[in-house]
Amino acid sequence: MVSYVRAVLLLTLVYLALTSNLQASNIVVGVLLAVGVLALLRPQRRVTDWRAAGTAVVAVLRYIFVLAHDMVVSGMQVARIVLDPKLPIQPGIIAIPSGCQSELGTALSAHAITLAPGEMVVEIDDDGVMYTHVLDMAHAETAVAEAQELRVALLNKIFP
Amino acid sequence: METILQLLALTAVIAGTFFSVVGMLGFVRLPDVYTRLHATGKVGVFGVVLLLVAAAAWTPLGWGRAILLIILLMVAGPVTSHALASAAFRIGLHMKQPVRDDLRPDKAP
Repeated sequence: MVSYVRAVLLLTLVYLALTSNLQASNIVVGVLLAVGVLALLRPQRRVTDWRAAGTAVVAVLRYIFVLAHDMVVSGMQVARIVLDPKLPIQPGIIAIPSGCQSELGTALSAHAITLAPGEMVVEIDDDGVMYTHVLDMAHAETAVAEAQELRVALLNKIFP
Repeated sequence: METILQLLALTAVIAGTFFSVVGMLGFVRLPDVYTRLHATGKVGVFGVVLLLVAAAAWTPLGWGRAILLIILLMVAGPVTSHALASAAFRIGLHMKQPVRDDLRPDKAP
């Protein structure tokens, strides 16, 4: 029930953001559409632990901040490499263990790695090891491992 | 307020165009599939995000729609790069001058 209400709330918020119209009638339409969308979906049961919810929200905010920061930094870094006349790249593929148990955690951490500066997941094997293409191997290994630890810590807080 | 928004839109348009152009330049200059995906998948998406910020600040697009589009782009961009890279690896396009290759340890220098 709680997750149903939460899903309705999220879908309504998305609808309101899209229409940018806060009149009561529009909100009602949004709620009706959200209920309709959820009626078409397969119901999913997940236990919610309210004590963990607080830390999860903080972790989600920090995670979004880390992602946005990564996007800006990777844009700058790749731009610098491309504009450098000598093209200073040392490409390589390294194996990074994802460190997450669930499929969703592995998928999200692969997504975060691909957004991070100079890294892109090429292949994931059955054990959750991500084969990551790195643009500049010179200072990649330690930096990649550290960034991955931070993201895994955040993801484990979000999906305990 | 008007001036600030106008300045924001102006800077975002200039920076967004710059990053989009750099993305295309990288596509031409970089040597192989994977490095090229870095240029288009990252710099390109960053450029489009900046252009969206400009559009939200100075056109009737609205921040709600812009933020939703930015989130969608941030979700879809890395997924596209990964899908293309994975497909390239499976059909046997490999890196040029790799420093290290954990996927094919026997081929690495």
